[in-house]
Amino acid sequence: MITNSAIQNQQLRPATDKNQSLVLTPLQDLGGFLFHHLGRLLLFLITCSSVLLVLLIFFFVIREAIPFLTKFSLTEFLTTKSWYPEAATPKFGALSLIVGSLYVTIAALIFAVPTGILAAIFLSDIVSLKVRDFIKPVIEILAAIPSVAYGFFAVLVLAPWMQNKWGFTTGTNALNASIILSIMALPTIISVAEDSISAVGRELREASYGLGATRFETIFKVVIPAAHSGIIAAIVLGMMRAIGETMVVWMASGNANQIPSPWWDLSQSVRTMTATIAGDMGETPKDSPHYWSLFAIGVVLLLMTFLLNIISEYFLASAKKKTGKS
Amino acid sequence: MRHIIRQITDRAFTILTGTSVVLLAFALLVILGPMLWRGSKAVIFKDTVEFRKMQLDLYNRGNPANLKVENAETESFRKTVYETIDDFKHGIDTEELIDRTKQIYRQLGKELRYKGVTDEEYQRIRSLARELRDRLQAAFESNDKKVIKENINYVLRYHLDENLAETSAVEFFTLAEDFQQSVENIDLNKRQQYAGSLQQIEEIIFHLLGPRPGDPLPALTMNRYGATRWDLAQKLLDNLLWSEKWIQKEAAQPLVKIRVSRAEEFAGTKLEPLFGYVQNNLDKMLKPEFTVYWQYFIDDSTPGHYFGGVGPEILGTLLLTLLAMLFVFPLGVISAAYLVECASDNIAVRIIRMSINTLAGVPSIVFGLFGLAFFVLFFIPLFGGPSKPCILAASLTLAVLTLPVMIRASEEAIRSVPQSYKEASLGLGASKFRTFMRVTFPVALPGILTGVILSLSRVAGETAPILFTGAVALGPLPKSLFDPTMTLSYGSYDIAVGDRLAMMVPHNQYGMVVTLVLLILCLNTIAIVLRARVSRKLRGQ
Repeated sequence: MITNSAIQNQQLRPATDKNQSLVLTPLQDLGGFLFHHLGRLLLFLITCSSVLLVLLIFFFVIREAIPFLTKFSLTEFLTTKSWYPEAATPKFGALSLIVGSLYVTIAALIFAVPTGILAAIFLSDIVSLKVRDFIKPVIEILAAIPSVAYGFFAVLVLAPWMQNKWGFTTGTNALNASIILSIMALPTIISVAEDSISAVGRELREASYGLGATRFETIFKVVIPAAHSGIIAAIVLGMMRAIGETMVVWMASGNANQIPSPWWDLSQSVRTMTATIAGDMGETPKDSPHYWSLFAIGVVLLLMTFLLNIISEYFLASAKKKTGKS
Repeated sequence: MRHIIRQITDRAFTILTGTSVVLLAFALLVILGPMLWRGSKAVIFKDTVEFRKMQLDLYNRGNPANLKVENAETESFRKTVYETIDDFKHGIDTEELIDRTKQIYRQLGKELRYKGVTDEEYQRIRSLARELRDRLQAAFESNDKKVIKENINYVLRYHLDENLAETSAVEFFTLAEDFQQSVENIDLNKRQQYAGSLQQIEEIIFHLLGPRPGDPLPALTMNRYGATRWDLAQKLLDNLLWSEKWIQKEAAQPLVKIRVSRAEEFAGTKLEPLFGYVQNNLDKMLKPEFTVYWQYFIDDSTPGHYFGGVGPEILGTLLLTLLAMLFVFPLGVISAAYLVECASDNIAVRIIRMSINTLAGVPSIVFGLFGLAFFVLFFIPLFGGPSKPCILAASLTLAVLTLPVMIRASEEAIRSVPQSYKEASLGLGASKFRTFMRVTFPVALPGILTGVILSLSRVAGETAPILFTGAVALGPLPKSLFDPTMTLSYGSYDIAVGDRLAMMVPHNQYGMVVTLVLLILCLNTIAIVLRARVSRKLRGQ
């Protein structure tokens, strides 16, 4: 009733002029055709801006790194540990930086992967939708907190606490950075893993339960094997997040250019690639070897994440294919 | 038996998965809880009269007449503190006393010259005064009470000497008497220690009460006011009452920190009552009042981040994010529209999708490098702009960074518009373009807005991309888009790690980062609510 009167109150306008012929003239027809195709082309070109941007990123970062590669040896860059960019005879051995990045990333994953997968299982298989609606915002907020706030927490809360309670010589160390990194990687891991675990159909689960398996057995022997490519993709994406993270490692890892020895000693300071770029770029004059070397590190980072991206896409695609079939 | 084990593993597993989620919630609580609590102190706290003075001087806020009354009241209580310290100092600060004797001696010489005494007399009085001066100095410098007494008595013998009457030299005697009195209660061997401790105490009092009335105004703004906050005043009071010492309790053991009461340290001296007095009358000297300093969010900070708020940082963050949105919104929506409405699954679209994923995976610091190499050094100079970090370069960099987020969110929003809507429109003879503009886009708009808000929150928190493209820690307000700006994100970094001044004021450190976190949480909450409403609407409820 209400909607009827509302319509009556509105002035009804005819969509087209009554006297106009419904058949289009050839010119109008051509115009429409051109409009359609030119419009499509325009939209396509605008959409291609993402491709253009990716190319520009690769081009400009590599362009600034090329002088470094022509003047210094690449093998020395990748295999030696001495990083003295401002010395009289500068040395650019980025090995300990690369190792540092991988070190905190892997340590972070050791914390984050079990927690993340368990949480994903909890969300998809164990609790009701209502409880899930409560937990989801927690994860979303964890993902939304900016990295600089995490870094702030690491420096001003976690570091002094570690120093006082655990007796570490320094509070800003690999352990601190990797704890924070793991918290930051968790939302990514959880959401991707949960998607793939949920995508495993009811049928598989019900078949397993029907055979008398417990929930633990169903999840471990049926659901996780079925969802494994999605879970791997989740881990790779979490790794990408951790390896590319800058502010937290810059603030919390201690920035000491060394490879921890013994290798399992997380209480030592390390320095990562991202932190080196962030920390050094401010004081580096343009077009100096140091400046180029930082771009070279940027290229290494870019290639690493690009590779990880391809791997994650491969696994996501295969996960999609699998669930699509079942 | 096996059945029980299976059941137990099952239960244990359930509990384990639950624990991981509890751990997550715990992490969130541990990270946000203390931060929010301490950050709230930047806005809600007990201020002191010093804070009100600062507000009046720097921001022209508050009631000058009231403040004057308060000032007079507090100063009447503060006077005792200064008097006690000065009194005690007479016996302790020998350097000052020696300086004083030298001054008196010089003064006397000048006086005699104008008095018109004969040469002979002049010489005699001068030599007597020199003698007195040297005796006094010997007394001041000595640690032996006997020597002091001897010298002082020697000086006081000339107390009634006619030649010295009504000249500056009489001050020698008051000095001698004062010194005699104050020395009586002091263990002279401790004088050195007292002097060191006294210096600390004077410094604490300076930080607590600000410069003494009548003293020249310090050059730095931060030194012009005493404790502006009651919690700071309490901390300083604790420092005043207790000194910390590192001692070795047992041989070959690390040093242990102990707290020593300063009142005990100065027991029996004239300074002893000071501690009780300050403790009991601190509230009268500072007049604490509960306050909500909401201007924290609009005030400029000065100097460093010692006083004031985060106004310029908020402004800079808003400028950067909104500008970035301006660039990325059309690009993102058009790309999403093309991908949903027009694209078929061909090689070009696959490349586009792959590019978007790559773009999403590029580390933020590499965006910073790209912004520096492309926007700062190449793109903006290409159009005649200055080749230096600026707001425009930073926001363009942020726009590139957030493009994949924007595209994905818009794509999802456009995709979730029910097919029947589009079909109805197409069935009425509307063209595809018209359908999109009149039907799909309006329906998808709230969903797209959710994406915009989420991108905003992402952009507001990003620090690494703007490090080299347009953020500064401290600087003037930007006058154009070609100036760099302060931002909350970079400010949070700098205030935590780089800013030595801010380390003395933790509430300001936390205040900055909490402002950033709150801004982002607000944006996210809006997005979550909006998304829930949209999905309810599309489901037809």
